[in-house]
Amino acid sequence: MTTITLETLSKEFDDVVAVNGIDLTVRDGEFLVVVGPSGCGKSTTLRLLAGLETPTDGEIRMDSRDVTGAEPKDRNVAMVFQNYALYPHMTGRRNITFGMNAAGSFTDEEIDRRVAKAAETLDIADLLDRKPQAMSGGERQRVALGRAIVRDPDAFLMDEPLSNLDAKLRIQMRAELTRLHAELGTTTVYVTHDQTEAMTLGERVVVMDDGRIQQVDPPQALYDFPTNRFVAEFIGDPAMNMIDVELEGGAAVHDAFRIPLPAGSAEGETGAGTEPLADPDAGGRRHAVLGIRPEDLHLARERPDLGETTFDATVEVTEPLGDSLLVHCSIGNETVKMGAEPRSSLEPGGAVSVGYDPERLHLFDPETGEAFYHSATATAPADRAEPVVTD
Amino acid sequence: MSTREIFDGRLEAALLLAPTAIVSAVFLYYPTALAFRTSFFESGFGRAPEFVGLENYVSLLGNPEYHSSVLISVVFAAIVVVGVIAVSLYLTFLIHEVDAGQGWYLISVIWPYALPPAVGALVFLFMVHPTLGVLTGPIEALGIELDWFNDGPQAFVVVALAAIWKQIGYNVIFMIAAMKNVPDALTETAEIDGVGRLRRLVSVYVPIMTPTLFFLVIIDTIYAFFGTFAFVDLLTSGGPSNATNVLIFDLYREAFSFFNFGTASAKSVVLFLVVAVLMAVQFRLTEEYSYYGA
Amino acid sequence: MTGAIQYAKRRFESARAALGRGAGTETTESTADLGAAGVHVQLWLLAGLVLFPILVAVVVSTKQQGIVTSLPDLLPGTYAVENYREAIVDYGFARFMWNSLLMSVVVVVGKLVVSVLAAVAIVYYRVPYKDLVFLFVLFTLLLPVPVRFVPLFQLMNDLGWSNSLLAITVPYIASATTVFILRQHFLSIPTSIVETAKLDGVGPLKFTLRVLVPMSRGVLVGVSIIMFVYAWNQYLWPLVIIDSEANQVAQVGLQLLQGDVQGGQLSWSLVMAGSVLTLLPPLALMILFRKPLLETFAIQQK
Repeated sequence: MTTITLETLSKEFDDVVAVNGIDLTVRDGEFLVVVGPSGCGKSTTLRLLAGLETPTDGEIRMDSRDVTGAEPKDRNVAMVFQNYALYPHMTGRRNITFGMNAAGSFTDEEIDRRVAKAAETLDIADLLDRKPQAMSGGERQRVALGRAIVRDPDAFLMDEPLSNLDAKLRIQMRAELTRLHAELGTTTVYVTHDQTEAMTLGERVVVMDDGRIQQVDPPQALYDFPTNRFVAEFIGDPAMNMIDVELEGGAAVHDAFRIPLPAGSAEGETGAGTEPLADPDAGGRRHAVLGIRPEDLHLARERPDLGETTFDATVEVTEPLGDSLLVHCSIGNETVKMGAEPRSSLEPGGAVSVGYDPERLHLFDPETGEAFYHSATATAPADRAEPVVTD
Repeated sequence: MSTREIFDGRLEAALLLAPTAIVSAVFLYYPTALAFRTSFFESGFGRAPEFVGLENYVSLLGNPEYHSSVLISVVFAAIVVVGVIAVSLYLTFLIHEVDAGQGWYLISVIWPYALPPAVGALVFLFMVHPTLGVLTGPIEALGIELDWFNDGPQAFVVVALAAIWKQIGYNVIFMIAAMKNVPDALTETAEIDGVGRLRRLVSVYVPIMTPTLFFLVIIDTIYAFFGTFAFVDLLTSGGPSNATNVLIFDLYREAFSFFNFGTASAKSVVLFLVVAVLMAVQFRLTEEYSYYGA
Repeated sequence: MTGAIQYAKRRFESARAALGRGAGTETTESTADLGAAGVHVQLWLLAGLVLFPILVAVVVSTKQQGIVTSLPDLLPGTYAVENYREAIVDYGFARFMWNSLLMSVVVVVGKLVVSVLAAVAIVYYRVPYKDLVFLFVLFTLLLPVPVRFVPLFQLMNDLGWSNSLLAITVPYIASATTVFILRQHFLSIPTSIVETAKLDGVGPLKFTLRVLVPMSRGVLVGVSIIMFVYAWNQYLWPLVIIDSEANQVAQVGLQLLQGDVQGGQLSWSLVMAGSVLTLLPPLALMILFRKPLLETFAIQQK
């Protein structure tokens, strides 16, 4: 049971800054997922934790122990790799025990007992005498997990462990990992580029970009209250629509529409950010980027309950997804995606009337990309302290 | 940013490298340096070496016998390389195209890779021996008088044929791998387009195999210059009247028949330059083609 | 990989363009095709040519005199046992073969051990000037035996190694080719496997013996065959440095036989028996281990 603390941790490779001064605490027993696009520094962060890389600057502590310069083997962590990293010439059992022998701190009986227990936990007893080439991808990953848990490490470090599996198996293993974590309760840091995986697995999710942490929050909070454009667009599929607007008199104004922004208290006090919606210096007008997720846009005829404010759009392309219909349509000079009921008959070129969920609007600063307004917190300021999971 | 460099100990690394480094230094670099040094001396058995500056090189420049040896080596290398590449390429293509028995055909043409040149030379000597060769009768029936113990050009052809024969195996090994790497889709597209077999070889396979073919041209050239000593020594001993006196044999004679170590060293240096140029060419070509993932 | 495909595509495009220019002749092309039977016939002929000399050698080695002047003379004779016995016992081929074997095995084992050590250092150790060291090793490719056998001869005399096993083995022990092939192979082992070993605190010795060597079995076998064939087939250097018959290798032993046959003291069938004997070890190894051998060649070219 371990708390891991990273302080102003940095890693530079030649002139590339891979990790740029991050601060993070991984709580004891937590399942923390680090997500981001490739090259964002997430894997490097994990490798710094493992001791496979030496930080350029900053500190890593496990509980109160400073492990910044410690050898990997002295950190008592176990790592699971994307390509399983099983020794091809060893059986499943040998793969699991090889590292334990190297560590040299276990008796033979102890090793046997632990292997038996791990095999039971992971249901891999029948894989122990097989070599990796006689195993499927999922089986290999189970053995790799077995190798990790058998040493009873202080932390699991997982580097995209499911990325080599096919879609169906991935979902199955996801559930398996959740179960395993519930059973073992070991602090886990899990790196992935897949936001779905991050959302489904993480108790908290760290979004990284460009070597920096963008946001750390539980999955739903990340989705509902992204702190900036990057997080907003990275989390959620299809991605959030971003429309350039002007703020004027408590409304987002665009050539093709005018959307009133719900405000909880006095005009200009938005809750999410304390900045005023209108910038007095700019003559009461201010540029902003309005973010609306496709699933928060609807055909007005399907959701009359959303209110009277609608705007006109032209259908461009429709993509049936089975459980819904994804509609690409143009609103003025912007193209936005929106969800519609499946089997809606929409012809390209046809005009539709679009409504939106007024509680799910986001505003971002066009320069910094920072979010400064979420209509959900603006309308219910009381919930600010602890974002409500609305579903 | 992952790395394989998982161990630190510099002393350990040095110890691991030491055997290779020491043997390389003592038995490869040092003798080469010695050859450069000796090439500036007049030296032989029982004589004190005498510094003569560039005289050995100057005398090589003005030595018509050496010039003819250079010429013979170049022509010999050209014939061997072209012959080996052409025969091997066609054989490879046939094996690539054949519908059954591929493994057997392959083994029956790549085995000369293991053939010791000395064995190849002796078997060839016996096959076309002017008086008791197996093939001598049939060849003479074609109206060619086999007299290569005395006829220079004939001797040259015999040595070249033996040298080509031995090198086929090595070439087919590399060519078959390269030809199998041609994506099936290209073969199929060519077939759909009605491109004939031979045209497919010339217009599709050969261009794609270019990196491998370049590699083999260099390897075969080095082989023709340096790997054919046993053929010359056992078949013709450089004769008749120096018709097969290639550089490597000439060097051997200079050192161990005439014991002129100074001149022999100068000749070694010339050969070193030949290898260096060939390797440089290969390096450049590899660089150029590495982009294609060869 | 994708690079190769891109390249292939481009090449093919240009090939097609070239075909397009000759569009008039295109339709007749396929009729000139050789059929499946044609391929077999050609292969039989050509493969037969490649095999013919050695088949003749085998046949002649079973005959009394080894005088062959017409095709019926190419039927196997009945003197096989006698000829091979004579070559092995009376003409010292047992000794020659043994010397060759000793030389080849020492060279192969020495090269493997020394090269594995060097490749481990080059790939798995974090040391300065590593690239320079690797270049130092690679550069020896420029120094094949024929370039330095004259000074090497002098060096051996100075060391007092002439005429010994040391002279025909030690200079071969450093091998740029082997180090290069092993390095390429080590680089193809996934980094994560290497890092797993590091996470577990596996030391260099255990890592080499328990992880690297078992994972390199095919390459090690392939390299061994390449090196065995190379060592066994050496002719020039033993010819120069070994001058006692007792220490001579099979290749040069053949030359001694040839001298006798040219001098009229010996029949050709004995020379052919000696040739077949000398060919057998490398040929057998090559055929037996052709799979790892071919795979290793594939690495070498990279």
